Amino acid sequence: MKNLRLTLAIIAGKVLIYMSRLLGHQGTSLPGQIARKIYPRILRTLSANIRREIVAITGTNGKTTTSNMLAEILQQQGYSLVHNRLGANMLSGITTAFIEKSDIYGSRKFDYALLEIDEATVPLLLRETRPRLVLITNFFRDQLDRYGEMDHTIKLIQEAVKDQEIEMLLNADDPLTANFQAETGLKCWYYGFDDSSYDNCRVMDSREVRYCAFCGHQLEYEKYHYAQLGQYSCPQCHSRNPERDFTGHELEMSPDIELKVDGMALKSPCQGFHNAYNILAAVSLARLLGVEDENTKKAIASFKPQAGRMEVFFINGKRVVLVLVKNPAALNQTLASLIYDPGRKNLFFALNDNAADGRDISWIWDADVELLEYENVMIEQIVCSGQRSGDIALRFKYAGFPRERIKIETELPRAIELAVQGSVESSNILCSYTALFTCQRILMEMGKRSEAGEEKEKAYQPQS
Amino acid sequence: MAHFHLVQLYPNLMNLYGDRGNLLCLQKRLEWYGHDSSIENINPGDSLDFEHIDLLFMGGGSEREQELVLQDLASKRDSLMKAVEEGLPVLCICGAYQLLGEYYRSHEGKEMQGLGLFSFFTQGLKERLTGNILIHTTLNGVEESVVGFENHGGRTYFIDKRLQPFGSVIKGFGNNGEDKKEGIRYKNLLGSYLHGPLLPKNPQVADFFIKAMAERKGFRIERILDDSLENYAHEQVKRKLMG
Ligand SMILES: [Zn+2]
Repeated sequence: MKNLRLTLAIIAGKVLIYMSRLLGHQGTSLPGQIARKIYPRILRTLSANIRREIVAITGTNGKTTTSNMLAEILQQQGYSLVHNRLGANMLSGITTAFIEKSDIYGSRKFDYALLEIDEATVPLLLRETRPRLVLITNFFRDQLDRYGEMDHTIKLIQEAVKDQEIEMLLNADDPLTANFQAETGLKCWYYGFDDSSYDNCRVMDSREVRYCAFCGHQLEYEKYHYAQLGQYSCPQCHSRNPERDFTGHELEMSPDIELKVDGMALKSPCQGFHNAYNILAAVSLARLLGVEDENTKKAIASFKPQAGRMEVFFINGKRVVLVLVKNPAALNQTLASLIYDPGRKNLFFALNDNAADGRDISWIWDADVELLEYENVMIEQIVCSGQRSGDIALRFKYAGFPRERIKIETELPRAIELAVQGSVESSNILCSYTALFTCQRILMEMGKRSEAGEEKEKAYQPQS
Repeated sequence: MAHFHLVQLYPNLMNLYGDRGNLLCLQKRLEWYGHDSSIENINPGDSLDFEHIDLLFMGGGSEREQELVLQDLASKRDSLMKAVEEGLPVLCICGAYQLLGEYYRSHEGKEMQGLGLFSFFTQGLKERLTGNILIHTTLNGVEESVVGFENHGGRTYFIDKRLQPFGSVIKGFGNNGEDKKEGIRYKNLLGSYLHGPLLPKNPQVADFFIKAMAERKGFRIERILDDSLENYAHEQVKRKLMG
């Protein structure tokens, strides 16, 4: 045995992974954390077993979905890979992913590693691993960052990647990544969207101002695709979107996504412009890695949105959609998607304010809730739940939704029951992070019960 | 039906933590009281005509943005103070509140002049005062509780001890976490660290401004609104804080 300490760390990690699975824990950072204590060089050592490339995926929104899509694509192509697919995106979670796949000697080889990484942790990751490609999906400020912490994070990332053998894949529609080439001297590839029928030329009150990455002047937008992603230019230094290497075009959302990427037609069961960006990013990356188009298409067509990132249930003949909503951009996107969904519907929002949700819930006032024309989108009632049910109820009241159709029910099971009742055709279940898994469990149980009920009904149906 | 003209100062620069919810709230309540209103956005370089303003609102911003605002606001300082003396309703949240004082000293020791409308200063520290907050205040002769969320690195201290705070802190930090004072109150001006935003969950504070605005136009507001949701949200935060 060459390295006893390494083997010990891997075994300890594997035992802990097994135990936490038994306990039903989703979180996977602890095994990595303990293994790193036993053998601090574990991530360096294991990540050296990657034969082809290590790909790091970071950004504020979409990194989990994008990296999961890419994992599907690479597996379709027949590659073996290490991937922290549960979204534990700090060093400990990444270490766990390597331990899980490794043999006890730490010598098993893999083609690729796909590492989803928290933005602020990128510099630390680069100290221990050597990614050849780094994808940044976008930078959005959320409610936790209003004091320039993001500018700081961007600088740290730029300093960390500089002078390394790295190529970057960046979002051309996000002005905050426009200066990466200039700042780092690296090869930067850009992806972005052509004009689409979902673009918006309006400046909404709540849209945060974006400043030029080169000179700091306030940017002017010709159009917005999604949130602050769009076509912009700087009136002072005349910089504009970087030229695209990969272009998304002919986007259709009805509501499932169809689009072309440089002529290649793709279909996906995912919905929403944010997912169109995730697809575009994953497909661009697949092209850079040389994946065959057929495999990319197949993988995108079969990729299902996972827990909370829009999951669909069928309960009492109604389509029930569960969505995680954690910032104004996500709430805007979810509300906008209601416009494309004809038919009468209920809305449900469970808002908690635990640490994982963000203690400060004032961001709900930064979303464009009043832009929804409630009569046209045919919302029958809005059920408000969670620890801050009052705040979310007020948000809809002051957005102009009739008071008498706003219901408050703090208990989640009863609240969801209310939201899937009545003659509506669909229900949209929105929730903040710590309410997500409870809501998901409740909906799964209701879905099963409803299915069993239907089976029974069918059995009793007289033959005709 | 009367028309109310609300002004938001520097919405592109000073607008944090859902601050615009305060104006949305005032607009809706005015509508429910049977009146009409408009919101004018004032950006750097725009002129400000205090003759035709019923209420002035400014929200929070980072240090960089506060400096830009101060450059513009300096020329409007005297007319602003005159309007405040005449009873103009003004609501300043967080960074905007800090600007009303004499100076702000950052945690690195950099000093930034304020408008100097009131004799207080703010000392910035790295460690932020963050969390839900409950204060007590007296509005139109009635003792009221006010809830919100605070998140500020600055500690504000009154130099002139005659200054009146907006309220006294029951749970949370307030101006500095030491003297139990929160915000400032002078005639119809309120400065406060409370966002949340402040007005929707505290309808009595919203109505304090609405009544003051109406009074300046020479009439009283008699209608009573259904505030059951507002009170529910208010109590929910209060219960959370009081355990
Ligand atoms: Zn510029």
